[in-house]
Amino acid sequence: MSTDVKMAWRNIWRNPRRSILTISAIAFASLLLVFMLSWQFGSYNTMINFAVRIHTGHLQVQAKGYKDKRSIRLVVPDPEVVGGILDKTPGVAAYTFRANAFSLASSKERTYGIIVTGIDPTREAKVSTLKKLIRQGSYLSEEDANQALVGELLARNLQVGLGDELVLLGQGRDGTIAATVAKVRGIYSSGQDEFDRSSIHIPLKTFQDVYNMGGAVHEVVALCKSLDRLPDVKSSVAAGIEKTDKKRRLAVLGWKELMPGLIQGIQMDLVSGLIFYIILIVVVAFSILNTFLMSVFERKREFGVLMAIGTAPRRLTKLLLIESTTMTMVGIIIGMIAGSLITWYFQAHGIVISSASELMRQWGLPERMYPQLSLLSVSIGPGIVMVITFLTALYPALRVRRLRPVEAMTSV
Amino acid sequence: MRMRLLFVLWLPLVLPISLCSDVEAQDAHGIVEASFNYMRGRTSISTVKMTIHRPDWERALTIKAWTKGQSDSIFWITAPPRDKDNGTLKKRREMWMYNPKVNRVIKIPPSMMSQAWMGSDFSNDDLSKTESLIDDYFHEIIGTETHEGQKIYLIESMPKPEAPVVWGMQRLKIREDHIFLRQEFYDEDLKLVKSLTAYEIQMLSGKLFPSLWKMQKADVEDEYTVLEYMELIFDQDLPDSLFTLSSLRSPRR
Repeated sequence: MSTDVKMAWRNIWRNPRRSILTISAIAFASLLLVFMLSWQFGSYNTMINFAVRIHTGHLQVQAKGYKDKRSIRLVVPDPEVVGGILDKTPGVAAYTFRANAFSLASSKERTYGIIVTGIDPTREAKVSTLKKLIRQGSYLSEEDANQALVGELLARNLQVGLGDELVLLGQGRDGTIAATVAKVRGIYSSGQDEFDRSSIHIPLKTFQDVYNMGGAVHEVVALCKSLDRLPDVKSSVAAGIEKTDKKRRLAVLGWKELMPGLIQGIQMDLVSGLIFYIILIVVVAFSILNTFLMSVFERKREFGVLMAIGTAPRRLTKLLLIESTTMTMVGIIIGMIAGSLITWYFQAHGIVISSASELMRQWGLPERMYPQLSLLSVSIGPGIVMVITFLTALYPALRVRRLRPVEAMTSV
Repeated sequence: MRMRLLFVLWLPLVLPISLCSDVEAQDAHGIVEASFNYMRGRTSISTVKMTIHRPDWERALTIKAWTKGQSDSIFWITAPPRDKDNGTLKKRREMWMYNPKVNRVIKIPPSMMSQAWMGSDFSNDDLSKTESLIDDYFHEIIGTETHEGQKIYLIESMPKPEAPVVWGMQRLKIREDHIFLRQEFYDEDLKLVKSLTAYEIQMLSGKLFPSLWKMQKADVEDEYTVLEYMELIFDQDLPDSLFTLSSLRSPRR
């Protein structure tokens, strides 16, 4: 511990009010950034987890090309084999099988073009929120045949209620005409209009009979235990599929490929967040620059004396930099700790955003959002503050070298 | 647009008198209309084999069809057995489908008219909006060519500004004896989407008629739908009661 450090420390506390103000500005900026970034990352996680749970899942195994062409002929021929791989993959929370077909759905009054999805009622309930989204009637059970779950908007468009019959007319896997009558068993509403307006769910077995699917399905949908395990799960599932799928017909797709719109929304939000952070950091940088500059002006006389008794200008610069770095570090550490504590509190309790609830519903989000602390969200903001304050402090620290001892001593 | 269907499923008739007039003197619109009338006839009864070809599979349907006047038609699938008795009724611009398994008639909503009919390369629109080619487009002769001694008109048809059509342009090839040879469908960027070509012109029910029609998608070589006329009878009297919803429910044997 050199004399310089000791001097710097004493200098800081010679004017405690000014120093505390500076430290508080830095601490506040760090705190805000820690919280905001954790909040943003947390809300993305929530968004992704809720959006994937409505329908898409974290991960899907499909036939290559099915994602874009949606052709009924592009099937996963042996879903049980894929299921076996998923059973053996650690990190997979649940999975289910689905089959889809574009069809006409007709009530007595109206006809609409919709997507009919065959679901396995028991497995589906573990993967998607469909069961919880039922607003009227009830969910499908194992024994149900020719029963259908209908989206709320579609039910309104078709003018059907519980127990009413719907005619489904489409094309089977072999090109033949597929037709069936299904009774409305339940009506669901996810908040995602597109989904509620154009989808009907029937039991997978009924679907396979009506559309001549045999035992094939179109999607094997899996949910991971948490979002960050997805990359591992995805690569091990892909490796497992490669071993069994000799003809290379299957593809493993993550939610990013399945829902490109969501990732674009997140990127846009991140950019607008970034702009806000830049403004915040610039404001903090100016206030810190001001404090540092003021302290150098106020202490002109002191520096003059120091120079007159033979202190090298280099040493003054060093002294000032140690002062500013010390204050910055103290501020950042306080900010990080306080920020983490606040974030941690809300991570446990959540924040209700009632005013945005309508908007959130569109994304299938819950009203209560949770920030998420991570190494990244705690370190990015304070790291940037540190770099910026150091650069800001450089200016007064270098300026002090231009002082002339005699002028400086007489100036204040 | 979609004259094809007239040519195709709803068959044509011979109007002997008007057709003998001097084609050379007619303008483009006249040529199209004359060809249209020639190909369609007053009424028709036909049996058609539809083959849908895809790179990895192929499927054949047999269809029995009745047409009357400008726009009415009704047809049922007779084979394969699994699809037997599925019917389609078209009146004006409306379409209904009947399925015997559920014993229901479904009206095809307007939003579904551009969907493929039974998975073929023909859309519902192609089947229902046949007379639209005459009424909804401006026609212009852009050239002529000679093939086997017969003059062929090349006609470009641009949709009228307010016309309810999906195509940006169509190009037609019509032989001077009214036989429709080719129809090309372009999107709004004037890019070719699909084309319908007629082959095997022969005497059918007393007039020259192409017995093979091929609808080909422009961007994929190996995807097409072929219609082959097995039987074709023109100008038999057909009752109006044939073209009704109740008739649709009781397939003719």
